[in-house]
Amino acid sequence: MRSNKDNNLSMAMGPIVDDIVKKSMHDKMRDFINAMFPLMGPAIRKSISESFRAMMVGFSKSMEMAFSWKGLRWRMEALRTGKPFSEVVLLHTLVYRVEQVFFIHSATGISIEHVVNEGADSRDAVMVSAMLTAIQDFVQDCLASGKDGALESMRHGEFTFMVEKSPLAYLACIVRGTPPESLREQMHICLETLLVKYADELERFDGDTAPFVTCRPYMEQLLDAHYVDEGKPAPLWTKMLFGLVFLAIIGAFGYWQYENHLATEEAAAFRQQMREAVNLLRHEPGIEVTHINMRENAPWEVFCLKDRLARSPEEVMLEHSVDPSKFSFQISPHTSHEPIIVEKNVKQALNLPPGVNMVLDAGGSLTLSGTAPMEWILMAGNKAALLPGVTSVDMSALSDPRMNMLKEMTSVVENVTISFPLNSDIPYAEEMPRLVHAVDMLVTIEHLAETMGLSVSLSIYGHADPTGTDKRNYELSQARARTIAAMLYNRESSMPVYAYGMGADQFPGATGYDARKRKIEMRLRFTSSVQGLRENFKF
Amino acid sequence: MISKKVCMLGVFAVGKTALVQKYVRSIFSDRYLSTVGVKISKVEVNADGVDTCLVLWDLEGKDFYTEINLPYLRGAMGYFLVVDGTRRETLDTAMELRAKVTEMVGAVPHIILLNKCDLKDNWEITEDDISALEKQNIPVVKTSAKTGQSVNEAFLSLTRAMHCFQST
Ligand SMILES: Nc1nc2c(ncn2[C@@H]2O[C@H](COP(=O)(O)OP(=O)(O)OP(=O)(O)O)[C@@H](O)[C@H]2O)c(=O)[nH]1
Ligand SMILES: [Mg+2]
Repeated sequence: MRSNKDNNLSMAMGPIVDDIVKKSMHDKMRDFINAMFPLMGPAIRKSISESFRAMMVGFSKSMEMAFSWKGLRWRMEALRTGKPFSEVVLLHTLVYRVEQVFFIHSATGISIEHVVNEGADSRDAVMVSAMLTAIQDFVQDCLASGKDGALESMRHGEFTFMVEKSPLAYLACIVRGTPPESLREQMHICLETLLVKYADELERFDGDTAPFVTCRPYMEQLLDAHYVDEGKPAPLWTKMLFGLVFLAIIGAFGYWQYENHLATEEAAAFRQQMREAVNLLRHEPGIEVTHINMRENAPWEVFCLKDRLARSPEEVMLEHSVDPSKFSFQISPHTSHEPIIVEKNVKQALNLPPGVNMVLDAGGSLTLSGTAPMEWILMAGNKAALLPGVTSVDMSALSDPRMNMLKEMTSVVENVTISFPLNSDIPYAEEMPRLVHAVDMLVTIEHLAETMGLSVSLSIYGHADPTGTDKRNYELSQARARTIAAMLYNRESSMPVYAYGMGADQFPGATGYDARKRKIEMRLRFTSSVQGLRENFKF
Repeated sequence: MISKKVCMLGVFAVGKTALVQKYVRSIFSDRYLSTVGVKISKVEVNADGVDTCLVLWDLEGKDFYTEINLPYLRGAMGYFLVVDGTRRETLDTAMELRAKVTEMVGAVPHIILLNKCDLKDNWEITEDDISALEKQNIPVVKTSAKTGQSVNEAFLSLTRAMHCFQST
């Protein structure tokens, strides 16, 4: 009969996998949630609301039980253990039985070890553990990665699957009925123990389960069951009698018990607080808690991996008013690729100027936009892609506003041509205002470029018309270029100026006398003094 | 007991499920029931005196593997790339898949199964294609889930390959 039920179990799971996957194939997340909820909804909800609901049920039961043999026994237990009476009732009345416990290798889904309650049939262990893993792979994938996506328990029919996870391996319990909250805690402790005990074996796991046989005793501790005692209700007189006895006990030992009760409750509350404090670290970006050593009367040892940019565990604790000296932190450095940490690192490394907007998506694509100084843009371009966790960098929407000004002024200057009379190296008088304007602009450009870490050089090309000898034309064209260069020297510009005579030959198709060809033209060249930008550039 | 996670990969309807069925339960059906998501079965095999439990992850066939399927590959210790000999393009897809899988789980042992060799008359895959694969040192086995030809041998040789891989 038992084996029959266990077959039901694996049969029950088959459709879960198929159905969930089928639904989600098409519309991913949205449909997935809809499809999942009837099956696993209760499981995805956090345990808090679960246990709260259970407590309410328990409370109403506790009213009925108040005057019975059991009721009395449970009140005594409540006093002895310091638990609220309703919780004691709850523990006793809920039917549950941990049917199977799996220790599963996370990556492969292979069942490393498996224990069953009282001679149950274990033939399906391999399948069940692989299916559990498949479901989790799927859930994790669909709920997007991240700590909150992990499935902790799910319910299907009369079974509840509880999962306690770690990156290397996890524990899964299959429970018939409603498992008590304490089971989660036990699983947690059991998993921590196994992870420590088999750290090396798990790291090297290649499918051979032989080294793990010794973990059975730990897992067997989780096999637990509770049933309702279905005795006949006690006659009224016994209820009354025991009610009186109960009152007498309270009267006699009340105060002492009350103190005791407080002390035990305090201890439990303390442990709970400690656990919550460790959970703060679990949620802290850049910190991974690898395991915890819960020591009695000594600070708990917390082993964690920490990114250099993550806050210190002490700081996290203090922020939540937890005294860090209750813990001893064993920290190993690592590089976290959690988005928040990557972002922090990028911000720190690049030292974003105020005008820059940064977007870092979950895949590590970094987009920088807005305005920033040229030097910064060049530096960021060289550095950003090399930062850990950054996969690509898009700076197409990033510019230096001065760059645009520079571009505009450069194009103005480069479009200026100054004409000269025949056989003269002094420009026409009416060209003077344009020339002065161009020279003013050159000085402005020079200063602006300087603020951007750019140095600028000017080339002046002088031209002549084809009248006269080549030699004369060459000399004339050069003299014209030099005239303009001299004007810049007079303005105390430190811009290197190169004056070139181009002669008359440089005009393709130029023939005969043509005033438009007696002119100079200017070209600017910018050079970055920021390291890393090797080429010069021209607009 | 040693357990090994093995994935069945390949385009839809190439015969992944049929091969698993044939090997695990010695049955074959002409009906095509496309797999949705993943079907898991296990089988025990004794390779050179080592008892091994193969956990077979029979994945849904696709023309390409989206991210949804990839998590199921995690931790695979070996895999079959199933190709339908009567559809040339299933071989090309298998080769693309092979590159993706290698990226994900590393160069773990794998075998290309040229399936449906009972339909040899309709084959589009030529001896040249096969020798090209052999030149790249990719193990190839011609199988038929219908007649059972070379099915046991294929699973056995992948198991052996995984044992060798593990001990190197
Ligand atoms: N003749 C012949 N038919 C085969 C063979 N193997 C599979 N088939 C048939 O091919 C069809 C598809 O086989 P499946 O095993 O369901 O294909 P699959 O690769 O699992 O397909 P998906 O689950 O959709 O990815 C079925 O009708 C099978 O009967 C074979 O070796 N010979
Ligand atoms: Mg199939």
